[in-house]
Amino acid sequence: MKKLITGAAIALASITTGALADGHANYPERPIMMMVSYGAGGATDFQARIVTMTAGNEDALGMPIAIINKPGAGGRVGWNWLAGQAEADGYTLGAYNIPHFIAQSIKGGVEYSRDSFEPIANWGADPAVLVVGAESEFNTLQDVVEFAKANPGKLTTSGAGLFVGHHIAALQMEKAGEMKMAYIPTKGGGAAAMKAVIAGDVMAGINNLSDAFRAREAGNVKILAVADLERNDFLPDVPTMREAGLDVDNSSVNFRGIMVPKGTPQGVIDKLAATVPAMFENKRVAGKMQAGGSPMHIMTRDEVLDMWAAREETLKELLAGL
Amino acid sequence: MEFLFYMGDVFTPINFGLLLLGTIGGLILGATPGLSPTMAVALLIPFTFQLDAAQGLILLGAAYTSTVAGGAVSAILLKIPGAPANIATTLDGHTMARKGEGAKALQISFLASAVGGVFGVLLLIFLTPVLAQWALAFGPSHLFWLAILGVTVIGSLDSKSVVKGLLSGCIGLWLATIGFDDIMGAQRFIFHPALGGGINIIAALIGLFAIPQVITMFAKGRHNDGAEVIKVQKHPIGGAIRELLRNKRAMGIGTASGSIIGLIPGVGGQIAGLVAYDQAKKFSPERDKFGTGHSEGVIAAESANNAMVGPSLVPLLTLSIPGSPTAAVLLGGLLIHGIFPGTDLFDNHPDVAWTFINSMLIGQVLMCLFGLYVAGLAAKVAQVPQSVMAAVVLGLAVFGSYSVQSSMGDVYVMATLGVMMYFLERFGFSAAPLVLGLILGPIAEANFIQGSMIANATDGMSAYFLGGGLNLFLIAVVIASIFYSAYMELRSRRYTSKEEIMA
Amino acid sequence: MSTSSLPRLQHIIGSGIVAAVGIWVAFVSYTQQPSEAFLFPRLISSVFVVLALWTFAKACLGWTKVGGGISVRQFTNLLPGLIIALIYIFWAAKGLGFYTATTLAFFILLSLYDPAPHHAVRSWLRRILITAIFMVVIYGLFAKLLTVYTPREVFF
Repeated sequence: MKKLITGAAIALASITTGALADGHANYPERPIMMMVSYGAGGATDFQARIVTMTAGNEDALGMPIAIINKPGAGGRVGWNWLAGQAEADGYTLGAYNIPHFIAQSIKGGVEYSRDSFEPIANWGADPAVLVVGAESEFNTLQDVVEFAKANPGKLTTSGAGLFVGHHIAALQMEKAGEMKMAYIPTKGGGAAAMKAVIAGDVMAGINNLSDAFRAREAGNVKILAVADLERNDFLPDVPTMREAGLDVDNSSVNFRGIMVPKGTPQGVIDKLAATVPAMFENKRVAGKMQAGGSPMHIMTRDEVLDMWAAREETLKELLAGL
Repeated sequence: MEFLFYMGDVFTPINFGLLLLGTIGGLILGATPGLSPTMAVALLIPFTFQLDAAQGLILLGAAYTSTVAGGAVSAILLKIPGAPANIATTLDGHTMARKGEGAKALQISFLASAVGGVFGVLLLIFLTPVLAQWALAFGPSHLFWLAILGVTVIGSLDSKSVVKGLLSGCIGLWLATIGFDDIMGAQRFIFHPALGGGINIIAALIGLFAIPQVITMFAKGRHNDGAEVIKVQKHPIGGAIRELLRNKRAMGIGTASGSIIGLIPGVGGQIAGLVAYDQAKKFSPERDKFGTGHSEGVIAAESANNAMVGPSLVPLLTLSIPGSPTAAVLLGGLLIHGIFPGTDLFDNHPDVAWTFINSMLIGQVLMCLFGLYVAGLAAKVAQVPQSVMAAVVLGLAVFGSYSVQSSMGDVYVMATLGVMMYFLERFGFSAAPLVLGLILGPIAEANFIQGSMIANATDGMSAYFLGGGLNLFLIAVVIASIFYSAYMELRSRRYTSKEEIMA
Repeated sequence: MSTSSLPRLQHIIGSGIVAAVGIWVAFVSYTQQPSEAFLFPRLISSVFVVLALWTFAKACLGWTKVGGGISVRQFTNLLPGLIIALIYIFWAAKGLGFYTATTLAFFILLSLYDPAPHHAVRSWLRRILITAIFMVVIYGLFAKLLTVYTPREVFF
């Protein structure tokens, strides 16, 4: 019965519009939902709300995108839902965080992998940074490395969870510096990890550049290094880890973008892949992102596919020993 | 006194209009089952894109204030707590409504909210620097002990049977572990795909409180005698004010515990109401009346809820750390205008900061006025038959739990927990301790794991968890709370007659 | 004491189920890996089992003090409502669409439990009116104001 009606509706739609045979010419016909696997108010949620705010414009999708939060376990809850329970009809999108979901799928215990999702476009790249409290005796990355080498496993370092970008950065630092740190994952994401640094619960922390930038503006932390290949425009005075003497590349940079579950009709994917990057480039979007201290990095579907594949390779290598 | 200088900004036509809009909208959203204050504020964020910074924050601040208070409406009239903050309100508030005192319960809840709320915002205005230090003082070990303190309340929250209260608490603590473990990421007790995301606290609240009540109404069957009608009697506002003045102790305990606990990042908002309720009960000479529709219970719970609003923003405004999910959403509202909370906010944008804080102050008063009006309306809808009530609550429970995160799984969890709770209640278990376990479980666990990781890397477990003044103080309070409960239990046994046991 | 025999049996069954759940939870907690992730569940389940067995023992001995159990009358009263509610939640809401299912469930429950006579036209009109008002409010609140997209399926 249901199939019959849907079939009839599609037939009717293609007759009346006389458009593409796959029946997605009118997509989207109703508001779209986008799942964010972190809580309301987190960096991913905040940015997702900004970059989708112009979706309803006629030159974008013509229909608004509503954000649904499914937080829990460093994003695993939301991505499991998107891979297993969400309907692949083009009206359910998801926000991705690289390296998080790829690292988690390599580590196992989840129902998704890189092949469970189809990327649409990338909107931002938020590098991980090393922060210490404003009163801390550490002033350079070198100080931190020396302490960690002299006291193996004593350098308490907070981060947003296990197998998220922050944890990857910590693992890379340990590998590059041949040292052992005590990585402390927090419940409650980057904000809780930052609170632990400011309150002195931990000696150092790895956090998002955007959040750390704000905390430094408020005079609460010192930012010692950026885990990226180049210095960041927001923090021109902070060296990269490589410049400061630790061979850490950009594997931990938190790429954020939009994806859909596998099985979404190709016509819908094509339409989204064509319109979404332009939607990100909207002036108002860029202005709000800049104001909030969130670095943008727009990539098309093909570029994201390559980036995912490259990340999976490096992460497999990095996590192989664990 | 800087805040007085900017007071005028609240009363420009546009700003005041937004304040009214936020207050009324917040009351409606807050009274909607399934919509927590966090979600309500998140829903309003897109509207603030078009406004300038101060105006956007007026809207959000007013909405935050009044959604917290609005949650009392559904908690009292329908026994559906809109957020964890309103659990304690259902305990006496709904019992009052069943006795026909719904309007009175609403009036005193809004008046108590306004008093607590104004006090909380005044604390935010005058004591922010001191409070910020206090908020930071709570590390993982202290939060762990705080959660344990909450657990000790479980036994005394339900006066009927301490063992069954503790057992209910254990069931709640276990339910909280279902799903992905937040730190390790391991899957625990996921025996149905709907549980993959764990048990959503809002959906669970709706199920545990609303569904047993629906089934209880079913169990009464069809009555033709007209006795099964819920009446809402008119109640003069003056009477409600006098009631509030008579219960200064509950008011004071509620306001104080709300402001102190509300300050603690990540914990406060959820348990402030319950802790205040429990404390008010322990200090009251009429403690036996709690749970039977006693106004002290409503006053303590609601004054605590709103007293928490102001202090909960302290870590955000001074240190740029969002201490609660709602504060995190408000942070977004600031960031889109390029304003960073912290010194930047007060030094470079004092107009925004103070207009926002002032609007919450005025918002408390407006919220109270509209709330009293709503209470009057409730009294006009004079009689609701039980059958209508049961069907309405069931429908709202389904829509409310679905809308939390657009998930059918949450609706299934809500219904399963609800039906289970009905049968458990028939055997002397109660929902309040179970819910407290559900809330405290993750706090206790995450902070224990995190604390032990830090402890292992530094001074060792005993030094970390048992050392330091604040740890010792909290442990002392935990022990005192246990002894007090045991003492009360023994005393009440001695005085309870045989007939009371059988009843 | 003859009236209390029914609750006593019920209490044994009820607390027996709770104890069984507790033992299952403890079993899973102590056998599943990784053990670090199950540290807390082990702690909880140990207390859970002790308290549940205590309650069960009290129920068997007839020492249970609180909880009235369910009378046959109450059970026959609640059964039709519970069945309709469960069909509504676990099947109809998704199978028929949220609004259709809610309208049907609301109206059926109202007709079952409303004390007004079943033969009078007036009372049927009243039921239809109440259902319509409720659905309009729900639709306005959730679909219009909050723009929640509910499952539509066959009907609306």
